[in-house]
Amino acid sequence: MEAIWLYQFRLIVIGDSTVGKSCLIRRFTEGRFAQVSDPTVGVDFFSRLVEIEPGKRIKLQIWDTAGQERFRSITRAYYRNSVGGLLLFDITNRRSFQNVHDWLEEARSHVQPHNIVFLLVGHKCDLESQRQVTRQEAEKLAGAYGMRYVETSARDAINVEHAFTELTRDIFALVRNGDITIQEGWEGVKSGLVPNVVHSSEEVTKSDRRCLC
Amino acid sequence: MSLSWLLETDSKSLRSMNGSRRNSGSSLVSSSSASSNLSHLEEDTWIMWGRIVNEWEEMRKKKEKMLKDLVRKGIPHHFRAIVWQLLCTAQNMPIKDQYSELLKMTSPCEKLIRRDIARTYPEHDFFKEKDCSGQEVLFNVMKAYSLVDREVGYCQGSAFIVGLLLMQMPEEEAFCVFVKLMQDYRLRELFKPSMAELGLCMYQFESMIQEQLPELHIHFQAQSFHTSMYASSWFLTIFLTSFPLPVATRIFDIFMCEGLEIVFRVGLAILQMNQTELIQLDMEGMLQHFQRVIPHQLDSGPDKVITAAYQVKYNAKKMKKLEKEYTTIKTKEMEEQVEIKRLRTENRLLKQRIDTLEKESASLADRLIQGQVTRAQEAEENYLVKRELATVKQQSEEALAQLEQAKATIAHPRQQQQPQAKRAPRYCEESVLQLERELVQARLKEAESQCALMEMQDKILEVEKRNSSLPDDTNVARLQEELIGVKLREAEAVTGLKQLRQQVRDLEEHWQRHLARTRMLELETQNQIHSNHLRRAEQESRCLQECVQTLTGQNKDLHVQLQEIKRRQAEIECKSKEEVMAVRLREADNIAAMAELQQHISELEIQKEEGKVQGQLNHTDSSQYIHDLKDQISELKDEVRCLKGPRGLANQTNFDGIHIVNHYVGDNGSYQSSDEDAGKGPGLPGAQQRSGGRIRLRPNIPDTDSEEEEEEEDEEEEDEDSLRLSVPQSHKSTTV
Repeated sequence: MEAIWLYQFRLIVIGDSTVGKSCLIRRFTEGRFAQVSDPTVGVDFFSRLVEIEPGKRIKLQIWDTAGQERFRSITRAYYRNSVGGLLLFDITNRRSFQNVHDWLEEARSHVQPHNIVFLLVGHKCDLESQRQVTRQEAEKLAGAYGMRYVETSARDAINVEHAFTELTRDIFALVRNGDITIQEGWEGVKSGLVPNVVHSSEEVTKSDRRCLC
Repeated sequence: MSLSWLLETDSKSLRSMNGSRRNSGSSLVSSSSASSNLSHLEEDTWIMWGRIVNEWEEMRKKKEKMLKDLVRKGIPHHFRAIVWQLLCTAQNMPIKDQYSELLKMTSPCEKLIRRDIARTYPEHDFFKEKDCSGQEVLFNVMKAYSLVDREVGYCQGSAFIVGLLLMQMPEEEAFCVFVKLMQDYRLRELFKPSMAELGLCMYQFESMIQEQLPELHIHFQAQSFHTSMYASSWFLTIFLTSFPLPVATRIFDIFMCEGLEIVFRVGLAILQMNQTELIQLDMEGMLQHFQRVIPHQLDSGPDKVITAAYQVKYNAKKMKKLEKEYTTIKTKEMEEQVEIKRLRTENRLLKQRIDTLEKESASLADRLIQGQVTRAQEAEENYLVKRELATVKQQSEEALAQLEQAKATIAHPRQQQQPQAKRAPRYCEESVLQLERELVQARLKEAESQCALMEMQDKILEVEKRNSSLPDDTNVARLQEELIGVKLREAEAVTGLKQLRQQVRDLEEHWQRHLARTRMLELETQNQIHSNHLRRAEQESRCLQECVQTLTGQNKDLHVQLQEIKRRQAEIECKSKEEVMAVRLREADNIAAMAELQQHISELEIQKEEGKVQGQLNHTDSSQYIHDLKDQISELKDEVRCLKGPRGLANQTNFDGIHIVNHYVGDNGSYQSSDEDAGKGPGLPGAQQRSGGRIRLRPNIPDTDSEEEEEEEDEEEEDEDSLRLSVPQSHKSTTV
C-alpha cells in the first residue's frame, strides 16, 4: 500500500567525489551507514517520504550523482528535472569546498529556465579534528548564494534528517506561494493522489467562496 | 601424456597466480588434487582448453567459431588468466617492463585513486582489508595506467575491471591486459573525460530497444526513463557492479573474446526477460526493480542470460550507421551550443553599442539645441542693432534737417537783418551769436551722430560678418545632416513614444477592463451576498408568519374555548340560581305546608279544647269554675295580644292560637308569661311536668321567622305527637 503524499519533489545531490553523497543519502533513506561502498558510477536513485508537518507528507525522489568531473556529461541531464538540490562538500577537504562555486555554476547553467532550491551541506562533521573549512566561512558563502547551510554526519547521524526536511520545507513554502508551479513535462514537482488536496491557487479562491455563505 | 601435460599447465598457472589469488570467489583447486577432484566432463573441458592454449595461434586463425562457442560456454577459472591474456594478445608487451618504473613515479591522480581504492569491491575478501595486498596492487595498476595514458588518467569505475583482472592474474599481467582492453576494446573512449563513447553506447542501445522491444521503449519514453539511469554502469564496468561476480566473470570472458557487443546483447536480454514487470512500473518502480530484483535473477547462473543474449539481434552495420548518426547529432549540438554562445556574446556587445550610440545621439541633440539657441540670440541682437541704426539714421537726418533749417533761418534773418540792421544791431548780433552757437552745437551733434552712424555701420558690418561666418556652406550641410539625423531619431523616438503611448493606452484599457471586471466580480459577489441575506430574511419572515398563523389559530381556539366556558359558566350560574330559587320555593312551600299543618293542628286543638271545655262546662256548673275559665280566657287573650305584638303581621292568628293552646295545655293554674314558661318547662308541677317536659317553647331567637317557624314546625310536629299522647294525660290531670 502506498502512503498518500501531498507532493513529490525530485532532488539532486551533487558535490566532489568522495565527499559522502551516497553515504548521506543512504543514511537518510535506508537508515544505515556503510563504512565503505562502491563509488557511484553514473547516477543512483533513492526515494523516501518525509512528514514536514503533522499530516503533510512529501515524497522525495533523490538522484545520487557521480562526483568525478568527467561524469558531468551524464549527470547534466538530471538537473533540469530537479526542484531541489543538496550541494555537498567535505569539511576535511578544502578543495571540495572551493569547488562548490563550480558545482553551482554547472547546475544553474543546465537548469534553465527552471530554478533549483539549493542547500549547502558541510559533510563529515564528526571528523572535527581534521576540519579544514570553518563554519563561518561556509555560512558566509551560503548567505552569498542565498541558501541555507547545514553541517551533517552520516556516520553519527547528525542533522541528516534535518538537512532533507529543511530543504523540503523551503521548497514546499515556495510551491505554496506559487513561486514554483507544477508544469506539464517537468518532473521536479508532482502532485499527490489525495482528492481533497488542492493547489495553492485553488485554495485561495475556495476560501473566498466559503466566506460568501 | 595428458596427465603430465595437465600437471605442467597446472604448475604454470600456479606460478602466475602466485601472490594474488587469496580470494574465496575464485578459489583455487590445489594442483595436487586437481585431477582427482575434477568430474569427467570438467576433465574433458580442461583437456580441451589445454590443447587450445597450446595451439593458440592456429585456433585463433582457423577455428575461430569454435573458439567463440567455447568461450561462450565459459572459460574454466583455472585457465582464465592465460586465456584472457591470449585473447587480447597481452603477452610479451613492451610496456610490461616499464611497469616497475611507473610504480616509482607519482601520478596526479594518486589521491583520487587512493580514495576510491577502499571503495572498490568492498565486500570482496581480496580487497576488503585496508592496507592489504589486494588494495595495494589495485592502487599500483591504476596509478601505472594513469601515468601511461594521461588523457584518460583515472576514471571511477575502471577500478572494478582492474580488480577483476587482479583476481585472476598477478599485477603486471593485469596491467598489460588492462592496457590492451583500454586501447582495443573501446574502453578508453568510454573512460575519457568527455565520455562521448558512453553517450554513443546509450544511443545505440536505445535504438536496439526501440527496434526489438518497441512496447518497452514507448513505456520508457512515457515515464521519462532514460537509458543512462540504468545502463551507464553496465557499459562502464561490464556489469561488474550490477551482477553477481560469477555471472559477470562469465560475461567478461565473452567480452574478452567478442568485445563490447556482449554488453548490448546481455543488456537487451535482461530487458526482454523483465519486460512484463517493467511495463507495469513507473520510473521509480523500474529503478528499484533494477537495483533490487534484477541482480538476484541471475543467482542461478549465467547460462540462461547468455543464451538469451544470443537470441538478441545485433547488427554491426546498423551500429556503425548509428555511430555516424550520433556523431552528426553531437557535432550539431556542439555547433549549436557554440552558435548560441556566440549569439549571446554578440547580443551583449550590440546592447553595449546601442547604449553608447544612444548617449552619443543625446549629446548631439543637446549641441544642436545649443547652437539653435545661440543663433536665435544673435538674430535678436542683430535686429536690435538694426533698429538702433535706423533710429540713429533718423536722428542724423533730423539733425541734418535741423541744420539746414538753421542755416536757412540764419540766411533768412541775415537778409532781414540788413533792413533791420540799424534798428537792432545788438539784438541781431545776439541772435546771430545764438544762432552761431546753435549751429556749432548742431554741427557737433551731426559729428557725433556721424560717429555713431559710423559705429553702427561698423557694428552692422561686424554682425553681418559674423552672420555670414555662421551659415558656411559646409557647416550648413553638416548641420543639415545632423538635423536630418536628429530629426530621424526624433521621428523614431516619436514613433517609439507613440508606440509606448499606445501600449500605455492599451495597458490602461486592460487595467480599466480589469478594474471593471473586478468591480463587476465584486458587485456580483455583493449581489450574491445580498440575495442570500434576502433569502434568509424571507425564510425567517415566512417562519414568523407561520408562527403567527399558528398562534392566531390557537388564540382563536382558546377564545372559542373561553367563550364556551363562559357560556357554560353562565349556564351553571343560571342553573344554580334556578336551583336556589327552587330551593327557596321549596322552602316557601314547606313553610306554607308547615303553616297549614300548624293551622290544622291549632284548629284541631281548639276543637279539642272546645270539646273539653264544653265537656267541663257540661260537667260542672260551678260559676266559679266558669269565672275561672273566663279569667283564664282573658289571660289567654292578653297573652295573645302580647304574642301578636312581638310577632308582627307576618304571624297568622293561627300561630297565636297554637301557642295559646300549647300554653294552656301545659299549665292549669298558673298564668305565667309565655316567655317565662318558654324557659321553664320543668317549673310546672310534677305531673304537668311530664307533659310539660315535652311542651317547651324555645326562647325567642330574634332570627328569621322561617327559622323559628321551622323549629316550631318541627317542634309542633313533635308536639303534635306528644300532644296527642299527652292530651289524654293532661286530660287526666286536669280532671284532678
